[in-house]
Amino acid sequence: MSVQPATSSLPLTRRTRFGEIGLRGICGAAVVILVVVIAMLIWEVAHGAWLSFSTFGLGFITSTDWNVVTNQFGALYLLEGTLLTSVFALIIAVPTAIAIGLFLSELAPRVLRTPVGLMVELLAAIPSVILGLWGIVVLGPFVATEVEPWLNQHLGFIPLFSGYPSNAGVLPACLILTIMMIPIIASISRELFNSVPSELKQGALALGATRWEVMRQIAIPQVSGGLIAAVMLGFARAIGEAIAVAQVIGSHNASPFGSIFKPAATMASWIATQFNGTATDLQRSSLYYLAVILLVISLVTNIAAQLIVNRFRKRIGGRA
Amino acid sequence: MRKTWRLLAVSLAVGAVAAGAAACGSSSSSSGSSSGSTTSGSSSVLVGAGSTFVAPLVSQWEAAYVKTPAAVTITYGAVGSGGGVDAVTARSVDFGASDAPLTSDQVTACKSCVQIPWALGATTVDYNVKGAPNNLKLTGKVLADIFLGNIKQWNDPAIAALNPGVNLPSTHITPIYRSDGSGTSFVFTDYLSSVDPDWASKVGTSTQPTFPVGTGAEHSSGVIAAMQATDGGITYAETSYIAADNLDYALIQNAAGQYPKPTNSAVLAAAAVGTTRSDGTIKLVDPPASASAAYPLASYTYVIVPESSPKASTLRAFITWAISSAGQSLGEPIGYPPLPANVVSSNAMLIAKIK
Amino acid sequence: MSSVVTSPFGSPSRRSRRRKMVGRMMEALCTLAALAAMAVLILVVYAVFRRGASALNLNLVTEVPSTDAYGNTTGGIKNSIIGTVIITGIATLIAVPFGILIAIFNAEFASRRTADAIRLVLNLLAGVPTIVVGVFIFGLLVVGHGYSAYAAAVALSIVMVPIIARSTEEVLALVPAQLREGGMALGATRARTVVTIILPTAVGGMVTATILAIARAAGETAPILLTCSIFANQVTLDPRQAMGSLPMTIYLDAEQPSQYAQHQAWAAALILMAFVLVAAIAGRLLSLRSRRRIEQTR
Repeated sequence: MSVQPATSSLPLTRRTRFGEIGLRGICGAAVVILVVVIAMLIWEVAHGAWLSFSTFGLGFITSTDWNVVTNQFGALYLLEGTLLTSVFALIIAVPTAIAIGLFLSELAPRVLRTPVGLMVELLAAIPSVILGLWGIVVLGPFVATEVEPWLNQHLGFIPLFSGYPSNAGVLPACLILTIMMIPIIASISRELFNSVPSELKQGALALGATRWEVMRQIAIPQVSGGLIAAVMLGFARAIGEAIAVAQVIGSHNASPFGSIFKPAATMASWIATQFNGTATDLQRSSLYYLAVILLVISLVTNIAAQLIVNRFRKRIGGRA
Repeated sequence: MRKTWRLLAVSLAVGAVAAGAAACGSSSSSSGSSSGSTTSGSSSVLVGAGSTFVAPLVSQWEAAYVKTPAAVTITYGAVGSGGGVDAVTARSVDFGASDAPLTSDQVTACKSCVQIPWALGATTVDYNVKGAPNNLKLTGKVLADIFLGNIKQWNDPAIAALNPGVNLPSTHITPIYRSDGSGTSFVFTDYLSSVDPDWASKVGTSTQPTFPVGTGAEHSSGVIAAMQATDGGITYAETSYIAADNLDYALIQNAAGQYPKPTNSAVLAAAAVGTTRSDGTIKLVDPPASASAAYPLASYTYVIVPESSPKASTLRAFITWAISSAGQSLGEPIGYPPLPANVVSSNAMLIAKIK
Repeated sequence: MSSVVTSPFGSPSRRSRRRKMVGRMMEALCTLAALAAMAVLILVVYAVFRRGASALNLNLVTEVPSTDAYGNTTGGIKNSIIGTVIITGIATLIAVPFGILIAIFNAEFASRRTADAIRLVLNLLAGVPTIVVGVFIFGLLVVGHGYSAYAAAVALSIVMVPIIARSTEEVLALVPAQLREGGMALGATRARTVVTIILPTAVGGMVTATILAIARAAGETAPILLTCSIFANQVTLDPRQAMGSLPMTIYLDAEQPSQYAQHQAWAAALILMAFVLVAAIAGRLLSLRSRRRIEQTR
């Protein structure tokens, strides 16, 4: 968006030149400060993790201990918890969100599109701590008294659904993450579907396709790159969610693959519950190490999403 | 073009200076350079943080102390003993409160902090079991087995044997423990390690032990809330919660074979036979059989203060008031019996160290 | 819409009926999904309203928390309401200038490659988990200085800047080129054009961006958990001190066993959610209106 100025043929007075430099200078300074802040963030978090990293190295990621008494710390169960909750949420949220995006861009009567779209975005605006409160008081007991017994009864042969129902555990955390991810992916997918050129859709309709076939065979492939990026963004958001997960997951360092009814923990929720009271320096540093892992995953996911969007943009000829 | 580069260079320089200043500001901070950083510098406010065990008593002190001639406002954050130690080490608060003695790591990190026992209390084992009566009897070994996951149901023979004639439901037992750094966890695991060698080797004593089974929750209030929401839940917290929330609590067998209730006199009986640890703190859990009426899970709780503090005089005055009968009397109705006289007098020496 | 090509799958009309049925089924599923999402939203909002409204009374917003003789929580959440206003206010004062200046740089002064790079940096910053932002500011501003509203505000401003910068850049891009060129043609410098012509045109969008960023920041708990979580049970107006905030109050009260504290949590949730929802709705409606307005200037 930089229209290089046809430099004015009128001579610049000192005052106008100063104004020109001033604005450019302040704006440039703001950008520089932005970069500096991110650099400081990375440095501060890495610096804090150094003690733990030099003690455990990469073995931190494969160790399951988290023992303050023996000063042994490892992130494996927390990684498992993070991945299980996020992937579970993705599996449910992505088809639902794409369906909502299609509904909002194709199926809904025009009159409903704005209000329903607004409602979906409002769902994204609900603060996570309120979702967590709702999770503790409403969802947790409901899951423990209705959902988990039902799952145990009908699917109990799968180890994941075995175990004693509990109102704090992996399953409520998965459900809350699902609720958080749906609106994020849905609003992006709605914009993507709205951007599909109508000529493509009209052409397909003219050739005899049903509306659903247009969606499935024209619209979705057309925006597939953007959808993948949206999913990755939702994933990055889910793994970083600390508060709502901490409120319902039960803060127990154990493998979530044993049973999704049992309490477990994610990296983000573990930082939230343990940070304000560490007993040893190595423990505090290990929490920083967890923050480094989260930071790396989120940066990599975001960069990958950006690359996918860029490639996708190039493919359809530079249209956003 | 050249103008842009020049401007960018200037901006970079400005940014670098700003970053350097900020970095300098933060690196000098951890060496305790905070002088009155937490408040406006006046000593009419004291900020503290830590133990949830002593929080109900501190609330009473807050309300009363501001009305005394000293007129100091106390702000206390009940973030758990671990958090309190952290905060006072970082000098982000004026005093910390912990039920667990400082570990050697923490002593070094805190740089000349003094720990003063300022209250006496008891940890109770509370449970929520539909169909079971109040005051079930448990021994230390059975309690350890419950929290180890060896005893899984409330009608387990081991529990039934201790409670003959009681109708115990077959509900699954869910141990609920403190997930944050907790002095109450320290007291609880100290007791379990004393009475069960299995516990001592598998889990040990710590403010943040690795409990093998169960659900974690933060702060005493959190574990109580979680227990109330879970049929079959069992947890540990200080005595005041029993009256405040009408909880069922267990009677724990002491070394003399008795099952004393956690009354003030039972706690005082334990305090009378405390043993001193190598770091000077006093261990009250698992009192010897000679104290037949002693409650097995009593403990002192400590205030942790830097020896050199910008609010030394205010702190000395407050702590002296808190351990005096004026302060201690506020604790008696809510489960904190007054400190024994010998502790009060030896505290005077410790308080004098705060300058 | 019947197919005219014969196929081995049966008569054309039967195949087209099947395709239509499949189509309608999938459309129904999509509609169901949308309804389910709305149902969840309504469920949560209704729960907060019902429980919060029953707990909301004048005491709650005019008193500060206190404990009675039995150690039970009583009182209100006045300090948290005021604290949220102050913390979010300071965060906005920090984030808005930064966000707008960065957006102006991208829209007016940066080459395409630089603008892309800056946009990538903004996206990366937006993607950093808020708990990590909290850890960062803890190390930077809390260690040695204590919990303070300033630290919480700085942490929240880091969350707000990418939102404001990205939205403002979008709005600036919408301003038609004719306005820019017109300003230049009249002899104004770039700076003057931006300040006197482009910014006023885009001001609606910038206000929207700010409102949406405030709505987001007011509800963030993780940054505050690590920067401002030990606070007095009384109203504090000094940002160098720690103060209460609605998200922290909800987080802490949610885990309390006492019914009163739980009621307080719901009431705080109601106030916070009402604010966030109103701001989000206002932001979206404003954004629609300002886009329409800008398009009218084309």
